[in-house]
Amino acid sequence: MTALSRGARALFLLGAAVFFGLPLLWLLLAPTRTADDLTTGSPLGFGSLGNVGDAWSHLMSYNDGQITLWIGNSIIYAAASVAVSLLLCVPAGYALAKHDFAGRRALLTLSIVTMILPPAALVLPLYLEMSALNLTGTVWSVILPLSFYPFGVYLAFLHFQANLPDSLLDAGRVDGASELRLFWSVAVPLARPAIALIAFFGFVRCWTDFFLPFVMLSDDRTFTLQLGLMSLLQSTGAVNNSSGFADLDIHQPEAALAGLVACAPLLIGFVLAQRFLRTGLLAGAEKG
Amino acid sequence: MKTLTTPRPSAAAAPVPATPRRRRRPARTAAVWILVGPYTAFLVVFGLAPAGYALWTSFVDNGSFTGGRDWATVFEDYRLGDAAANVATYLLLWLPILLLTVLSLAFTLHARPGRTTSALQLVYYLPGAVTGSAAALLWLFMVSPDSSPFSPLLKLMDIQSATDALSGGSVIAVLTVMGVAVHAGGWIVVLYGALNALPKDVLEAAQVDGASAWRTMWHVKLPMVRTYVAFVLISSFASGSQVFVEPTVLSTGAPGQISPTWSLNQLAYTYATQDGDFGKAAALSLAMLAVGVLAAWIVITRTRMYATDSSDSR
Repeated sequence: MTALSRGARALFLLGAAVFFGLPLLWLLLAPTRTADDLTTGSPLGFGSLGNVGDAWSHLMSYNDGQITLWIGNSIIYAAASVAVSLLLCVPAGYALAKHDFAGRRALLTLSIVTMILPPAALVLPLYLEMSALNLTGTVWSVILPLSFYPFGVYLAFLHFQANLPDSLLDAGRVDGASELRLFWSVAVPLARPAIALIAFFGFVRCWTDFFLPFVMLSDDRTFTLQLGLMSLLQSTGAVNNSSGFADLDIHQPEAALAGLVACAPLLIGFVLAQRFLRTGLLAGAEKG
Repeated sequence: MKTLTTPRPSAAAAPVPATPRRRRRPARTAAVWILVGPYTAFLVVFGLAPAGYALWTSFVDNGSFTGGRDWATVFEDYRLGDAAANVATYLLLWLPILLLTVLSLAFTLHARPGRTTSALQLVYYLPGAVTGSAAALLWLFMVSPDSSPFSPLLKLMDIQSATDALSGGSVIAVLTVMGVAVHAGGWIVVLYGALNALPKDVLEAAQVDGASAWRTMWHVKLPMVRTYVAFVLISSFASGSQVFVEPTVLSTGAPGQISPTWSLNQLAYTYATQDGDFGKAAALSLAMLAVGVLAAWIVITRTRMYATDSSDSR
């Protein structure tokens, strides 16, 4: 490689790093600064940690700490959905990989179709269905649809098919273990890393979902953090001075802090799960 | 952190070679249905039933058949043309730029793997964690010359305020930049993994034959990962056609600049909530669902995802 092309390569990669990295760096630094400093100071300065505390207490003063309610809601919805989806998709993936039964192929095809379908495509039909069942506005209208996670089934299916030898199951059968017991005592313990990965992907999906809760929920006490963030922006004019209430101390640093809180679990999770995410197992297949 | 040295061949590009047809145990029906039953019920209730119910709603109102009336009103709505044009323009801009970004970065990274490569991948990947309303919030700041680290660039383009950046046709430009930042990283990781999984001897053979790095990329590597490229393209097309969150949240930063029926999904949402007209909402969302299913079908047949299941591959 010539010096010139090496230089061009480095420049290209660095330019891309600036484009992808700068917004994130700004988001990390913004809560440490004051609103004035953000508009007049240099774009990437560091303020003080004290400012972060101030910004947090300003956020807490919004509707008597409603933001903690939203964080709690997000955690409950995501945890419940992930738990139910694991209960559904790990056994299903196992049965699809290790048993032959009528309807198996249809189930697999439908799972792959719904897995690749953009999540937003089903939201309005789901809303119509939930509204016919009088379930809109309840936590169930968010938790139950999110628990249906065909990508998790597909991952579990791939895992059991590739990594669980039939001989192991046959040995168990010779020892007289029932089929359900084989699943619980042989398959599940061996699949722990795969289950953790499915849980991680499922969590990312539930935590970031916007359209489904946006359509289903109307009472802001039931909002997720993603929804709350939007209603906070709308009602305070944090990013738009012409609207909202000037008496609330919610400005750019507070909005940035709220945004950071909304994506913190994922930023941390992505760094921790980096190794898994690289395995090229179509890791992006579930992204919206 | 080490780069992946023994990558798993991916499901799409290199289907697991069919093991000599292994006989699955004949089903012990009760046990099997205890395992798959609950999931199947969810698939029916939250996957198939909503689509079926929407179809019913789009044709039947209060128990009486309405013919294609709801469909006809939707297709005559003057807002539909605007929304479709917006989404089409967005896709025309965003898809090529996304694909070009993903391909050029993945190939450039792959040309010389190393520790820097891993670090850079993470940098490219992280914006993917900032999604939904947080992403829209972040990009509202990025296009506000007052606070943005890109402000010299914005001033160069004569953008004085966030409202400027979100007015008229430039909304699409902001959405495109945002969409690339959020989605490129994940695909770069996927494609880089695919490139790593390519058989080394083929690449070495190209080198021995004296192929330049450029020719190797264009004539050897690219054809070998084309199923991935198809996968990226088609699934991004499907998800881009459903765009909703970004225009919704961006409009909070510049009220009045972005129409509440900017995208097709926003229009369908307006039918359901503002107009209370479920029939029209159902008709429009079914039309979009059809696009999604079609794209999914093309992905499945193009990338032979099925082939991962040894017994169904033939």
